[in-house]
Amino acid sequence: MKVEKLLYIDRRIIYLLVAIGALIPIIRPIGLPVVPTSPVKGLFDKIEGLGPDDAVMISFDYGPSSEPELNPMAAAILRHLFIRRIRVIVVAIFPLGGVSMAIQEVGRVSKEFDLEYGVDFVNLGYKDGGQAPMKAMGVSIQDVFPADVDGRPTRDMPLIQEVKNYEDIDVVISLATGVIGEWWANLINAQFGVDVAVGCTAVSAPKYYAYLRSGQMIGLLGGLKGASEYEKLLIDRYPKARELYARPDEAKRSAMTGMDVQSIVHIIIIAFIIFGNTMYFILRRSQRR
Amino acid sequence: MRFWHVMLLIGLSWLCFTLTPIGWVHAIDIEGLVAQDTPSDGGQSIDLRWTSSSLNRVIILRSTSRDSGFTVIGEAIASDGAYTDFSVVEGKQYFYRLGWLSGEDTVYTSIAGPAVAKSNWFRKHRLNALVTTVLMFVLVVTFVNKAKQGKPLYIRRISGLSAIDEAVGRATEMGKKILYIPGILSLSEIQTIASLSILKHIAKLTAIYGTDIEVPNKDPLVFSAARETVREAYLEAGKPDQYREEMVSYLTYDQFAYAASVTAKMVRERPATNFFIGSFFAESLILAETGQGVGAIQIAGTADIPQLPFFVTACDYTLLGEELFAASAYLSREPVLLGSIKAQDVMKAIIMVVIGTGIVTYAFGSEFIRNLLLSR
Amino acid sequence: MKRTLPLFLTFVVGMFPIFAFFVPHRAVSNLNQQLDTWLVIVAAFALPLGVVNLVGSNIDKIKRKQRGWPYSVVLIAGLCIMAFYGIVGGEQGFHPYFQYMFVNMVSPLQATMFSLLAFYVASAAYRAFRARNIEATVLLAAAIIVMMGRIPFGDMLTGGKMTPISEWIMTKPNAAAQRGIIIGAALGAASMQIRVILGIERTYLGKGQE
Repeated sequence: MKVEKLLYIDRRIIYLLVAIGALIPIIRPIGLPVVPTSPVKGLFDKIEGLGPDDAVMISFDYGPSSEPELNPMAAAILRHLFIRRIRVIVVAIFPLGGVSMAIQEVGRVSKEFDLEYGVDFVNLGYKDGGQAPMKAMGVSIQDVFPADVDGRPTRDMPLIQEVKNYEDIDVVISLATGVIGEWWANLINAQFGVDVAVGCTAVSAPKYYAYLRSGQMIGLLGGLKGASEYEKLLIDRYPKARELYARPDEAKRSAMTGMDVQSIVHIIIIAFIIFGNTMYFILRRSQRR
Repeated sequence: MRFWHVMLLIGLSWLCFTLTPIGWVHAIDIEGLVAQDTPSDGGQSIDLRWTSSSLNRVIILRSTSRDSGFTVIGEAIASDGAYTDFSVVEGKQYFYRLGWLSGEDTVYTSIAGPAVAKSNWFRKHRLNALVTTVLMFVLVVTFVNKAKQGKPLYIRRISGLSAIDEAVGRATEMGKKILYIPGILSLSEIQTIASLSILKHIAKLTAIYGTDIEVPNKDPLVFSAARETVREAYLEAGKPDQYREEMVSYLTYDQFAYAASVTAKMVRERPATNFFIGSFFAESLILAETGQGVGAIQIAGTADIPQLPFFVTACDYTLLGEELFAASAYLSREPVLLGSIKAQDVMKAIIMVVIGTGIVTYAFGSEFIRNLLLSR
Repeated sequence: MKRTLPLFLTFVVGMFPIFAFFVPHRAVSNLNQQLDTWLVIVAAFALPLGVVNLVGSNIDKIKRKQRGWPYSVVLIAGLCIMAFYGIVGGEQGFHPYFQYMFVNMVSPLQATMFSLLAFYVASAAYRAFRARNIEATVLLAAAIIVMMGRIPFGDMLTGGKMTPISEWIMTKPNAAAQRGIIIGAALGAASMQIRVILGIERTYLGKGQE
């Protein structure tokens, strides 16, 4: 009887323990080690091979619900690009918040570097239509985005004058929730041959492995773990990144801090699973007797 | 000559031939420059092709006349051997040449052209996709016609669909309502259309048994279609007076606001049966687990692969991928619809044979089937 | 006519994108892009339908003082205020008040709902991952290995072996199974789409089958 009660434990007890497990590392960070994996290194190494003459497009294809996982990714990738002085074109295809996420992160990270808007980077904002503007950028980015997010004409921007379409872009990075990342990997890589990498929520990551294996993607950052691995690579490689992530406000929002929470909660879930199975076997044995 | 003279000479030669920044004296071997219309496109571009082993940058020049007026339109690495000019006007003649710096002078290749961009009528590299599409259409039409001739067609048992009657019956016995969630995407998503066909069947059952049903919607187009579907179901069941407008409602376009609203409804009203049929994203587990918590019997169905594990763990029955699309045929047992399921099965068998053959031939070094299946 | 016209439109509008997939001619691709634009316009016009229903049903609730009617007041107020500053802010929605409400209200609320998943995953895992039979045991083992592989503890406990095993599970059996389900689902969707285009499936119109 007691075993049965333990087997069907009130879910509120589970929620309470998960909440405590999530709070503790936030109050007192643990600083667990992070080991980068090959899908993350794929994107990192690609960007390492680029320089000031190259251009990268980042598409903010997520909304506030995915912010905790994808904002650290966005910040780490932007910092990597800005450190290497690679030119950055920012767009948003996701209708519910993509442009707000882009304004927020690009605005915040670009202030950390000495950059010129319109020359080193540009935020073109949101374009409705899903796959239609994605395909149309294969012909002309300026035609799809005649003005940037603030309404300034893009024809006057040196970056847009030089980077006309996907031919001039070395890699497209989609920070995506839902199907948009698949559109970039499936459609744009297949049709235009431009390298694509995707940063996605952990729950979506399994479906992207097929695209990674087939070569349609050169890199994959899956969830908070992917973001923490990218931060680790960045911090190990660049002293400037180490300084930026050492700031207290940045350390709080970084993926590496979030990984402490994820680690503790995973341990709690695994402990509950083992506990549940133990109770199940004890009950089964006692019922057989 | 002393040893160090030789080493100095070798070092200087190495410097001259390997450190070749733009502008230094060098020979770029470019041969066979050809300009032609890009095949299988809409007249938007012209392809340039040449052969070269040099790693230096070259400039691309274009003019509308052979003799003069060449302007720089882009750059490329000589060894790439290719460049596509997207800034052309369809039907206009263009001439091209490549150029590079040799000391103070610019050296040019011979002129290629005239090339004219034309709209083509077929994408040759998608021939394999066309064959597959035509084959699928032919199979569907063939088996539908066979079904119309009265030939019996077998379809295996799908437990999730067989449980629908039981689930509706449970709600009727308990005197509680049925909650039907038709997914969160619009009518342009085929899963939503499949969901509406199941909704019709369930709405008919609720009309017959007098059970309450509620269909909250996230998309306004789906809201309109669902309203029509439920109204029509009640009409066909002969109970139009039992239909109420409040059965089908629109909540919000925001994904998580919708999830919050539906879960609050579940906790307040404690439906006996929940149906989650259609396209879902991250809110799938929130909905399913809340429904599990209120003790409802739950039947889910989606072709969104990442959401399947959540539904499998939290729901009593789950329709996996193609089972969702087979639902209308399964529930109605219409021979015509069963014929299309048969066609789908035959197509799957063909794909399995091709994949299997491809794996075996690829293992023995042949890329024929692999190349046959590649598409752009 | 009432029955034939929707079916004819469905056939034409359904076949045209398939045709445009194979025919790159400029005239065809221009018309295909137009169809995409029309779809966006139709969807935009459908939005007021939903909003009218939402506002109507909540006003009804307030008038009748039904249970929870104050929340209907909050809903309508939120809708009006957000819509006003969104329209005033232009195409990109850049009015400061709109941005403030989005960043400080909408964004945290959405993140909160999303974070509920952490709790629900825990309770679902506790309930569902039981070694009832061989398949369930394999599922259980794979889940534990992948969860451990996603955190540093896994490598710390196994000397760095957990991440490669977890990656192997994700890239081999997981990817293979997903591809199988994707192929099946794609074929099912294609079959359904052909039925809709050919007018065999008509439930989306509120009508029965052929």
